[in-house]
Amino acid sequence: MKYFNKLTISSVILTLLISIPALLILVNLFTPTTENWEHLKDTVLSEYIFNSLFIMVGVALMTSIIGFSTAYITTMYSFTFSKFYHYALILPFAIPTYIVSYVYAGMFDITGSVTMFILELLGKENVTEVYFMDIMSIEGAIIVMSLVLYPYVYLISKTYLIAESSSIIEASKTMGFSSWQIFTKVIIPISRPAIVAGTILAVMEAVADYGVVDYYGVPTFVTGIFKTWYGMGSVEDASKLASMLMMFIFILIFLEKFQRRNKRYRSSGKDFAPISKIVLKGKSNIFASIFCFLPVFFGFILPFTQMSYWFLLSYKDVIDEDFLRILMQTLSLGIAGSIIITLLAFVFVYNVRIHANKISDYLTQITKLGYSIPGAVVAVGVLNFFSIIDGYFDILLSGSVVAILFAYCVRFLAISINNYESGFSKIPQTYDDACKTMNISQSHKLRKVIFPLIKNAAFASFIIVFIEIIKELPLTMILRPFNFDTLAVYSHELVGQAQVYESSVPAMFIVLLGIISVLVLARKMIKD
Amino acid sequence: MVGISIKNFGISFGEMEILKDVSFSVNAGEIVTILGPSGSGKSTILRAIASLENSYDGDILLNENCLICKNECNKDIGYIFQDYALFPHLNVKENIEFALHKLSRIEKDKKVNHLLKEFDLVEHKDKQSHELSGGQQQRVSIARAIAYEPKILLLDEPFSNLDSLLREKTKLWLKKMIKELGLSAILVTHDQKEALSMSDKIGIIHDKKIVQFGTPKKLFEEPKNLYIAKFLGDINILPFALAQTFFPDITKEQKAILRVNKTKISTKTTKFTTPYILKEISYCGDYSELIIVNKEDENNFMTIRQNLEIDVFINDIVYLEFKEEDIIFIK
Repeated sequence: MKYFNKLTISSVILTLLISIPALLILVNLFTPTTENWEHLKDTVLSEYIFNSLFIMVGVALMTSIIGFSTAYITTMYSFTFSKFYHYALILPFAIPTYIVSYVYAGMFDITGSVTMFILELLGKENVTEVYFMDIMSIEGAIIVMSLVLYPYVYLISKTYLIAESSSIIEASKTMGFSSWQIFTKVIIPISRPAIVAGTILAVMEAVADYGVVDYYGVPTFVTGIFKTWYGMGSVEDASKLASMLMMFIFILIFLEKFQRRNKRYRSSGKDFAPISKIVLKGKSNIFASIFCFLPVFFGFILPFTQMSYWFLLSYKDVIDEDFLRILMQTLSLGIAGSIIITLLAFVFVYNVRIHANKISDYLTQITKLGYSIPGAVVAVGVLNFFSIIDGYFDILLSGSVVAILFAYCVRFLAISINNYESGFSKIPQTYDDACKTMNISQSHKLRKVIFPLIKNAAFASFIIVFIEIIKELPLTMILRPFNFDTLAVYSHELVGQAQVYESSVPAMFIVLLGIISVLVLARKMIKD
Repeated sequence: MVGISIKNFGISFGEMEILKDVSFSVNAGEIVTILGPSGSGKSTILRAIASLENSYDGDILLNENCLICKNECNKDIGYIFQDYALFPHLNVKENIEFALHKLSRIEKDKKVNHLLKEFDLVEHKDKQSHELSGGQQQRVSIARAIAYEPKILLLDEPFSNLDSLLREKTKLWLKKMIKELGLSAILVTHDQKEALSMSDKIGIIHDKKIVQFGTPKKLFEEPKNLYIAKFLGDINILPFALAQTFFPDITKEQKAILRVNKTKISTKTTKFTTPYILKEISYCGDYSELIIVNKEDENNFMTIRQNLEIDVFINDIVYLEFKEEDIIFIK
């Protein structure tokens, strides 16, 4: 009986609900094939698989090289603007990948602003004389994705290097190793778990992407899901593609866990010593500064500047009553989704805290898997689930806001749960024990102890989920009710209609909303 | 005043048995210490008494008749946590009045002000816990625990976060306070000095059981086995031949021991003629610690703590000197 209390039962029900879409997708792996599927298999499936794998490998290579090298340089060396780069290297996170891809296309494709400028500068007329690579290609998609996603590797590697490397480097120095030997023989091997963890996160994002590959015309699993769904009208085959993509992702998760199986990210539980940075001078100082500037420039400054310029050119034409309606719809969806997710995640994590048992732990782990499932796959699963409900109760939920909010819960509960887990880890269990020994009721404890101490984590969860929701594209595109747009969808639609300048207006709002939210969060954290 | 009895207490975590068949009683007004090494399960006993652990065997009785409910904490019990468990978002006053939320504002203020005064915390009442010293935090924690007037106080390693000077001072204060309030108390610690100085009775945990229970003096002078003797203080085991001179019937399994501070050396032959070589001298302030090795048996060495009033040097030949009544015989 100890397992069955109100909180655990609520968690079980929620986990079941949240897992159903994924289970409905997985079932499709075993359903008999249709004629359409045979056609897909004979024509485009191999292309989907090859392109998705190519993107995975390309993004893995680029993000790990950019992310780890910048993390290493900014951790180990002091050089001009090194403190600025410490934070600036995270900036590419602020702009969704698909928005950067629109901007890059607008700048570097055959009629792009940069292309035209270079042609004019060189006095050439033919693009082929200047350009050897078309940005609107799979290679272009890999470059754009890597420029935005490398901060995953940067952040995880940097955290790891700061925590781990000081004593190891000093020990290596006493053994007579040169800086290069320390880097190749010590730093890279010990950092492998961190590099792999960051790279796999970046790869998971890349393989789940819709906006970039759709706009650049690269057929992948995700674009395949859309084409099969909307073009061929085949729900079963779209679901089958989704199930294959989900297996891809699960293999990645397994690989990440496998490579981490016996490895620890910290060598000891002791406090780590600060790294004494080497001060760079002369050429090496300039080289380090330029090296760190490049990812910030191409990942943030360049797209953001170009976007701002286009925004100024076109905002008067775009911002009208319809735009404000879309803005309001985006904000309400973001706020409603964040509130629901932040409340539900509390139920899961608080259940684990007060009923620490295997069941509550498994429930949380299952729920957290949702974040690794691509938005398009979640959307297909949710549609399958809601069409069953629609049919059974004779209602229409599948094309409603309820379906989107539910899908957001499936996808983003993990973010909120992670925030709470981190918040609760700072609240010692003895606070609960102290309340119990003083005969304090659960409600009084929640009100007077837990809520005041967890409110920052809840607020952080609200903000981060809000940003994720307003950025979300494929899931919202599939599930949105008729005539219901968000800024992300609107931006994608405009760019699809070759209105790249105009698309920068909703894109700019997404970026600004994200930046403002993060600033609000940072201000509150500092104040507290 | 209320006493407490633990009868045939046993607890396991999963497959691992932590404690078995533990029984002891705390009479009303007594301070009892459960002494054992880290990880021996001593805190688990306190947690079970406070109903923070529920899956145990045996009974826990208040005043020999009221069985402690496994799911609900008893209002007669106050708990002092090792980390004090002070709520960081509340100030000293709010922490102390936390358990009094059912009282009216006037009653609450009256009680809290009295405790603030009693525990010398008036000038700190508006401070958050992180602004207090370790000793002040401990006083707040105790004030909070006794605010709702429990009859029994459970103290889990209460001095472990204090530096040695403050620890000595706090031990005296806490003992006096417990006695003045007429509380019964159970304290758990791994520090034998703490146990000996604080307690009316001590129970020593070894191998999942309480192996000896009694007054500090009794345990120190008449330890039941070698483990207890060693745990309560450093000892020297007398060589078998020497032990035989005092206990002719002694067997190889039985031991005659001396506390190190009761073992002395002399440069002149004493009634113990076995020569020892002085191997080490460490100056420790109040005393010097010496290591001597039996000249005829290198495996037989002894530690001596003595205030050196004679001139001795490394490798000098010395002889043992001790009083016969200081020998402890362990069966």
